[in-house]
Amino acid sequence: MFKTSKGILTTFAIAALLMMSAAVSYAQTTGSVTMTATVSNFVELTSSGAVTLTGNSGGSVITDGTANSPLAVVVDLGEVGPSNSNSFVKLSVPVRLRSNVGYQLNMVSSVAGAGATASSLKDTDVGFGLTPAARPANLAPGVDTNSTPGDPTVGGSTDVNGRWVFAGANSTLGAYAVSGAVLNGPRINKAVAANSATSLTFPAIFAIKPQFFDPAPAITITAQFTVVAL
Amino acid sequence: MPRFSTAALSKILLLAILFLVSTITCSAQGTSTTGTVSISATVSKFVEISSGGSVTLTGNSGGGVITDGVTNSPLAVSINLGELGPSNTNSFVTALVPLKVRSNAGYVLSMSATVASSGSTTNKISAADVGFGLGTINRSGTGVNAGADTNATSGDPTLAANGSINGTTGRYEFTAVRSNLNAFSSATTALSGPFIMNAVPRSNGNGLTVPAFFAVKPQFFENGTTTISVTFTVTAP
Repeated sequence: MFKTSKGILTTFAIAALLMMSAAVSYAQTTGSVTMTATVSNFVELTSSGAVTLTGNSGGSVITDGTANSPLAVVVDLGEVGPSNSNSFVKLSVPVRLRSNVGYQLNMVSSVAGAGATASSLKDTDVGFGLTPAARPANLAPGVDTNSTPGDPTVGGSTDVNGRWVFAGANSTLGAYAVSGAVLNGPRINKAVAANSATSLTFPAIFAIKPQFFDPAPAITITAQFTVVAL
Repeated sequence: MPRFSTAALSKILLLAILFLVSTITCSAQGTSTTGTVSISATVSKFVEISSGGSVTLTGNSGGGVITDGVTNSPLAVSINLGELGPSNTNSFVTALVPLKVRSNAGYVLSMSATVASSGSTTNKISAADVGFGLGTINRSGTGVNAGADTNATSGDPTLAANGSINGTTGRYEFTAVRSNLNAFSSATTALSGPFIMNAVPRSNGNGLTVPAFFAVKPQFFENGTTTISVTFTVTAP
């Protein structure tokens, strides 16, 4: 009787071990890794390099642009009254854009410290324009829409009062007293690494025709660009 | 209260660390979406005097314009008034010199003059014998501001109201206010006014124009030579 019971217990023990072994073997034969990820809209605005200042009498570049660094240039245009006999005082600021989505570049500007008479320098006396070229092959294909007429020193004429008028719509800072689009287009970059140097670069040009403006010792002109994803 | 195994807790901790690292990395990248261009500029006071055109010389006997005025060029005329003695029977020898003034600010046109004669007596030509005045001031043309100017002279010195023969000495005298060069032995204001040009390019050729009259009444002056030098200066006070 005792031997019989022992045999039965041994049988149950072996069976239990087999079942446990089977169960353990089953858990180790499959596995899963579940990952999630996101690609967010990405737009970026930086400097594309050193600015170019021409036609100035006095004045200079105070804080220059540095390629791939945040755009924060500071420039003194110098004399823009009639003692400056150059045709234009012209500032060209290289801008660099990157995106993985459609983008819109906006600008808002202001002019201060120039006086308040009819002969004071106004925002409409500061020409502005972008001159983007066709996208190179290393960028995503697409056409960028320039809302400005381009280089403000091209064209233009004096009005009935003899004052210089820049040619075309959106050709002066007067058009950007409130934020407005200056450039937009489809995604810029192909699927390249984030450290890829490929980008859309173009000059933003600011120009003033020296004129018999009211004397003003400290005129301040500010232009702020903002790029947003469409 | 759910119970977590050690393995599950480890996984949760690992995910938390990865999330934290990811967050820090994204922040460190600092994507730039804005940029600023800050520009300063200056408009200084500007005043300019130039020639308003050709000189007109009348009543002369001999003499002539040696270096004429050229519109919008620096004023540097040279004139030989010719004979100023009694052999010249004209009433006056008059030189009319057109001036052009431009500014983006209020201006003052001043003048200084010297008269040097070779004579040695009181009968030689002196500064008081050279009449002077500014004529009609013209602010016209595109871009010229319509302001009111103050003429500190009495105008054309040959006008009857501006001179006469001294009843005692018989010498002709320019008697009106600032009507002869004696009043300008040192720099003295001849004309002043508000800004002249509106906001137009310098290439705009217009401006304020005014004739400057110089006149000498031929008289029995002491014979000799006379040199008259006049300098105009415009400033923005």
